[in-house]
Amino acid sequence: MNLTVNGKPATIGDKDTLSITELLAELKVETPEYVTVELNGDILERESFATTQVKDGDAVEFLYFMGGGR
Amino acid sequence: MAEQTNRYRFNTLLIHGGLTAGPAGATTVPIVQSSSFAHETAEELEDIFRGRMVGQVYTRIGNPTTEALEKRLAVLDGGAAAIATASGMAAITTAVMTIVRSGDEILASSSLFGGTFSLFRDTLANFGIVARFVDPIDLQSISDCINDKTRLIFVETIGNPKLDVPDIPAIAAIAHKAGIPFMVDATVTTPCLARGIELGADIVIHSTSKFINGTGSAIGGAIVDMGVFDWSSSKFPHFAPFVNKYRSFAFTARARKLIHKDFGACAAPMNSFLFTEGIETLGLRMERHCFNALELARFLCVHNKVAWVNYPGLEENAGHATAKRVYNNKFGGILTFGLADRDTAFRFINGLQLAKNLANIGDAKTLVIHPASTICADFGAEEKELMGVREEMVRVSVGIEAIEDIIEDFRQALENI
Repeated sequence: MNLTVNGKPATIGDKDTLSITELLAELKVETPEYVTVELNGDILERESFATTQVKDGDAVEFLYFMGGGR
Repeated sequence: MAEQTNRYRFNTLLIHGGLTAGPAGATTVPIVQSSSFAHETAEELEDIFRGRMVGQVYTRIGNPTTEALEKRLAVLDGGAAAIATASGMAAITTAVMTIVRSGDEILASSSLFGGTFSLFRDTLANFGIVARFVDPIDLQSISDCINDKTRLIFVETIGNPKLDVPDIPAIAAIAHKAGIPFMVDATVTTPCLARGIELGADIVIHSTSKFINGTGSAIGGAIVDMGVFDWSSSKFPHFAPFVNKYRSFAFTARARKLIHKDFGACAAPMNSFLFTEGIETLGLRMERHCFNALELARFLCVHNKVAWVNYPGLEENAGHATAKRVYNNKFGGILTFGLADRDTAFRFINGLQLAKNLANIGDAKTLVIHPASTICADFGAEEKELMGVREEMVRVSVGIEAIEDIIEDFRQALENI
């Protein structure tokens, strides 16, 4: 599955779809309890991570409120 | 962290909550004494600034040692996230300024700690923020004082030094019915007596200098965000970008990315380390503080030179029933008592041999102070009355020494007044 992750092309696993929860684990996203996930421009509710699927061609952004500036 | 919270009991979380393995297998939190953090590429630092990557930039904004403390505190209160600050007052200032703007009003307890009272009444007034003070025991008055400008209700779990015991869950219900966030200063109770999420608080404040530190070795504060308040209300248009982007983390994101960053009252890494050390024994210490305070209160109650004793653990105390219900039959480590007059109170303090005369609470050592002439000296008679500060009153932060030694010290000082 080919995705755009944080603006960069990424090939993920060999499945056709993955839930956001699975994607966070697959990509070893740091501190997943604090991440906000944007799928194709829409911010996802945290409660929907397990049920929202990503598919080939999707764009995913991971956002943190922790470090850095604005 | 969620996995830990589900798996372990509170006293285990005090020690292991949010703790990850340190370098070379270190089991304490490493002190990362660095102002700023280097990154391999320009792209990486850009990603961190854009929030795409986790990473440290500058200790005013975040620091690995401080982050370990923040994770522990968030777990203990059942919160979503926490921000450690330079002091308890810095935590209150940062948290309040994250919510209110010029023209907004705060509805606050009239029995607040003097520093907070002064911040609300005087300092914030200079920025166009109005504080209205209300007796936190009078639930009807709290409801009646909410108006269309109220943006925050602020109460201490147990008033310091008044030791009144507001019904925190009931005030939470009033706040939430009105769509207003409820901020609770839990310094006196700590998460050991009640976790913020169980109290119904939206934001919890701790002066970590007190019981969390436990040895009087550092100044610090913390803001814990429960992540449950709905900031999308029309009362809080300034939260919209943060709600849209960070959802349940909207408060912490606005605090961290704007107010905390701009005001700059950041925690020192060394102090954050000291708090992570202190927290490990917080459960044991709070049990002993509560036990010793009740024993000392009982001793003072029957002493013929003591006019009155105020400790919520005493059955006849006005706050006893509420404290028993809300704080699981624990009543904290602070008590006050009255002698004949101010001069007698001074002579008593001067006669103590073990207890220290100083302006702090929550130390392992027993501490006393005469509030009317010190921490509340700048307030008028009417304000002192609201704060429960009387001329003949001594405040005691009961330590964790052998209770027999504490009582003997008080007995000899009382006999010599």
